[in-house]
Amino acid sequence: MTSATLDHYVLISALLFAIGFFGVLLRRNTLVVFMCLELMLVASTLALVAFSRFNGTMDGNVFVFFILTVAAAEVAVGLAIIVALFRKRHTIQLNELNSLKN
Amino acid sequence: MLSHAIFVLILPLVSAAIIALFLRRSGGIAAAVSTLTAAAIAVIAVMLALGNARFTAAYEWMRFGDFAISLGFKFDDLAALMLVIVGIVGLCVHVFSLGYMHDDAAKARYFGGLSIFMFSMLGIVFADNLFMMFIFWELVGFSSYVLINHWHEKQSASDASKKAFIANRVGDFGFLLGIILCYWLNGTVNLTELAAKGDAHTLVFSTLVPLLLFCGAVGKSAQLPLHVWLPDAMEGPTPVSALIHAATMVAAGIYMLCRINVLMVPDALTVIMWTGTATALYAALCAITQSDIKKVLAYSTLSQLGYMVAAFGLGSMAKDPDPNLRDGLIIAAGVGAAMFHLTTHAFFKALMFLGSGSVIHGCHHEQDIFKMGGLRTRMPLTFWTFTIGVAAIIGFPYLAGFFSKDAILYLAFSNNKAVFALLALTAVLTSLYMVRLWKLTFLGTPRSDHAAHAHEGGLTLTLPLVLLAVLSLVAGYTAFYPKVFSGVFDHIPEAHGSAHFIIFLTSVSVMAIGGTIGYFFYKSTPTDTLADKVPGLFAVLSALKNSFDGAYDYYVAKIQQRFALFVNFFEQIFLAGLIVRGLAGFVGLFGLGARALHVGNLNAYVYWFLLGLVALWLFATGVVTL
Repeated sequence: MTSATLDHYVLISALLFAIGFFGVLLRRNTLVVFMCLELMLVASTLALVAFSRFNGTMDGNVFVFFILTVAAAEVAVGLAIIVALFRKRHTIQLNELNSLKN
Repeated sequence: MLSHAIFVLILPLVSAAIIALFLRRSGGIAAAVSTLTAAAIAVIAVMLALGNARFTAAYEWMRFGDFAISLGFKFDDLAALMLVIVGIVGLCVHVFSLGYMHDDAAKARYFGGLSIFMFSMLGIVFADNLFMMFIFWELVGFSSYVLINHWHEKQSASDASKKAFIANRVGDFGFLLGIILCYWLNGTVNLTELAAKGDAHTLVFSTLVPLLLFCGAVGKSAQLPLHVWLPDAMEGPTPVSALIHAATMVAAGIYMLCRINVLMVPDALTVIMWTGTATALYAALCAITQSDIKKVLAYSTLSQLGYMVAAFGLGSMAKDPDPNLRDGLIIAAGVGAAMFHLTTHAFFKALMFLGSGSVIHGCHHEQDIFKMGGLRTRMPLTFWTFTIGVAAIIGFPYLAGFFSKDAILYLAFSNNKAVFALLALTAVLTSLYMVRLWKLTFLGTPRSDHAAHAHEGGLTLTLPLVLLAVLSLVAGYTAFYPKVFSGVFDHIPEAHGSAHFIIFLTSVSVMAIGGTIGYFFYKSTPTDTLADKVPGLFAVLSALKNSFDGAYDYYVAKIQQRFALFVNFFEQIFLAGLIVRGLAGFVGLFGLGARALHVGNLNAYVYWFLLGLVALWLFATGVVTL
């Protein structure tokens, strides 16, 4: 069994990012879209950690800490918004959340 | 004395303001206020004129840098004479209006209009500089417009008022240019300062200045070719015609010329002289075919105004003017003759207009002289006063018009024989059409029910007639005037010796010829005798009368209207279409596109976000550059 190389990590990271991205593009449920957004963040985090590990520097790891902090704050605010939205509108389906248009 | 002058100027303005603000619904009180004002003006005017005080005063009104417009008084003998004329005729007309407009629905507006007119006219009389004169010049134009338009529900009246206003605007434009040019050349438009400069030989002369200023007089005094508004202005109430369109406002042009006589140069005087002569003859020819009593008088007014302008243009009695003598002195005789005729004309023409008003009132607003006749026995007082007016205008010996017309004829005789001949011919025509009017209106038998049941009006209608008739009898005797007007009347040319005999003979014979033809040729029939017997001549004269209106109609309808259409097209297509609407359309189109992006679906926005990201990336990596 060969050990994992940088390419593997980047590939997984890209796959995760693509899943997250297409989820954002295609899903209609706000909660799922939100989770997909988190998935994209995590994918980039994974890539950065891998770069840091293989370059032997701490730069990527520092970035990861920042991303985690921001993501945590974003999740807190985002989930709060979604809960508030559901209370107000009784739905979190994106195609029904278009009152600005009409 | 200055306080009197200010008071007399402000009084009619106050009266007009009170009527406009508080008395719009109460015509009776408004009439009383306005008439009392006119009476006060007349009294103070006579007091001011007879009191020997002559003064100038000025107050700065606005200042723009070095340029200041001042409101001031220049009260000399000329202004005193004009003030008395305006005051007396104004009072007569106000009193006459009390009877004539008694049952009018808009009496308050009418008397308010008269007051604002008195204010504007007195402003012209007192004005000590040309800018102030121009302001009041426009104000008389406005009040004339309001009063012609008094019966505005009549289409012809509202058309006539617009015509009067527009024709005056044309002349006033030249007037304004003349004022500006005079200011540019001489640095002042103050009449006293101009006269002082003339005395000191520092005045800058230009032929253009007096000619442009004369444009104002052409408009206001209805000279050729801007005379077209005056006959139409007869649509206004008859007392208005007497006051504004016979005695005072139309004479303002002559008065203004006399005011600026220091600026005159020989070439300009020649133009003025021929304009006046042409107007006098043309209007007299037109008057012969008129059938409306007021229109005859209107053309007669035009003709007499032409006489005054010609008298002014004839200038000096000096055969060979001293080249060092400035023109202010050269044309003194012209000023004297013109103002003398203006004075007598104001009285007898106001008398005849008020007389025609009395006739129209008595005949239940019938104005066609061919439907009158036989009014001599029915309206004796009107008949006799009107007869005095007719005798005065045709120059019956020893009445007012005789002296003033003789002065002008003598001036013409000694300065320009061609003008003399034309003016004498005009005098023949004058007595022809006046006797025709007089005979058809008053003699013979009534030719309509209205005339048959005509009756004399009340005291308010007859009293002004009597006063003006007395003035028409005596106004020609210069000895009658107090010495206070000597500044004007000393300049009246008087013939002596053989010249006196020639003028006397000419004057009496032209009057007799015209009067005899008028009396014996015209029959008291319901149709025009001239049209029956010599239809060719009648048609020619009618065509002459219509020629100017026709030409202006053609110009307005065919040339000006087309130009306006073209300009309108340009405006619609280029300015409104391309620039204004085009810009709005572009923004609208952009908005339409931008609105399409707003689909209301979050997923779609992600695509846009992606697109933006790609664009940013392309730009950042330098694949695409701006």
